[in-house]
Amino acid sequence: MMTVMDKDRLAAFVDGELSPEEAAAVVLHLADTPVDQAYVDDLFAANEALAQAFGAPLSEPVPEAIHAAIMGPSAATNVVAFRPRRALALAALALAASVAAAAVLLPGLLQTPSAAGIALGPLPPRAPFAEVLDTRAAGTQVMLADGREVMVLATFGMPDGRYCREFEVVDTSAGRADFAIGCHGNDGWVVEVAIAEVTDPALNPGFVPAGDAEIDALSRFLNRAGAPAVLDPAAEAEAIRQGWSAR
Amino acid sequence: VSTSFQRDLVSLVPKLRRFALSLTGNAADGDDLVQSACEKALRNQAQFQSGTRMDSWMYRIVQTLWLDDLRKRRVRGPSLDPDDHDIGDEGKGARLAEDRMMLASTAAAMATLPEPQRVVLSLVAVEGLSYKEAADVLEVPVGTVMSRLSRAREALLPQLGMSRGGRQ
Repeated sequence: MMTVMDKDRLAAFVDGELSPEEAAAVVLHLADTPVDQAYVDDLFAANEALAQAFGAPLSEPVPEAIHAAIMGPSAATNVVAFRPRRALALAALALAASVAAAAVLLPGLLQTPSAAGIALGPLPPRAPFAEVLDTRAAGTQVMLADGREVMVLATFGMPDGRYCREFEVVDTSAGRADFAIGCHGNDGWVVEVAIAEVTDPALNPGFVPAGDAEIDALSRFLNRAGAPAVLDPAAEAEAIRQGWSAR
Repeated sequence: VSTSFQRDLVSLVPKLRRFALSLTGNAADGDDLVQSACEKALRNQAQFQSGTRMDSWMYRIVQTLWLDDLRKRRVRGPSLDPDDHDIGDEGKGARLAEDRMMLASTAAAMATLPEPQRVVLSLVAVEGLSYKEAADVLEVPVGTVMSRLSRAREALLPQLGMSRGGRQ
């Protein structure tokens, strides 16, 4: 005659309330008691069914109304620390950067126009970068037809209501990477700051400590425009959905 | 400028929406509940003791508001319609019709439970709280959590077609 175990104890086992020793004792008991094993299976299945039945919100963005209720209607951004990235190997080409300096620092690059970096100014709407800036979430790597890899690194909500996106373009064959910030205006994306970096194959595309020059250039731009406010994924998804119309 | 309190609150929203959905049985009511709870939390920010668990505090606010709201509705008369129980994502997560039926029947079965049992089952089985944590949220003894949980499962398992083991 089988001896069944107290149901609360079986439930405690399923709910992870038992110590490892107690749980082991239950496992041994279950091996000899099919009726209790069946009950435990049911409890697991019920927990799983419940988790699935109500699990959808975990993969959904925070609804706008709730976000606004918490953050206030005009502050649909999360301010997070400006994260350091790869070191600058060479030069920063900010809006006012000296072409002469670039010519000194980037001789190899200037000899290969095909590997030109990101031009400042408006991006043609059909430019491959524009499509990436329009539609892709930060952190998603996109391979362009010419083999370059584009990834948005961060999305900023600017105090003036515009959105800006920082992105990188890596051209492995040319051994260079470009960082830029594009801001969305009435006529689409405008590249406002661009920085070139030469990737060193010896570094085996690994990440090296962030260089002051890079952070300076990007921070200067962001600080000039106001405090850098990085959108969280939900706010970013919402901005993509709304076509980057100013807040 | 947002505060860390606001940011922490936003990051809890997905879990709070899941909890609220399991209580209300439909996404729209669940979101209304979460929004009210967040507004209440902001008003009562001073009562939150930093260093303690914000999720527990928020679960408590959500379930208290939900019960208050139910009481008010009962005065006006019941409006519980089984057809109201959509499952949040219109079954997006369910690839098969069978899954979808299982999700719908789970949500419907949940809705038949008395509220105190529903809250406990949701906190433990959906939100993954320990008995002690659930007891802290509800400010009841752990034994009360266990007995509500036990009764909730007694009622729920047969509705899910899960009492085949024959345990009495």
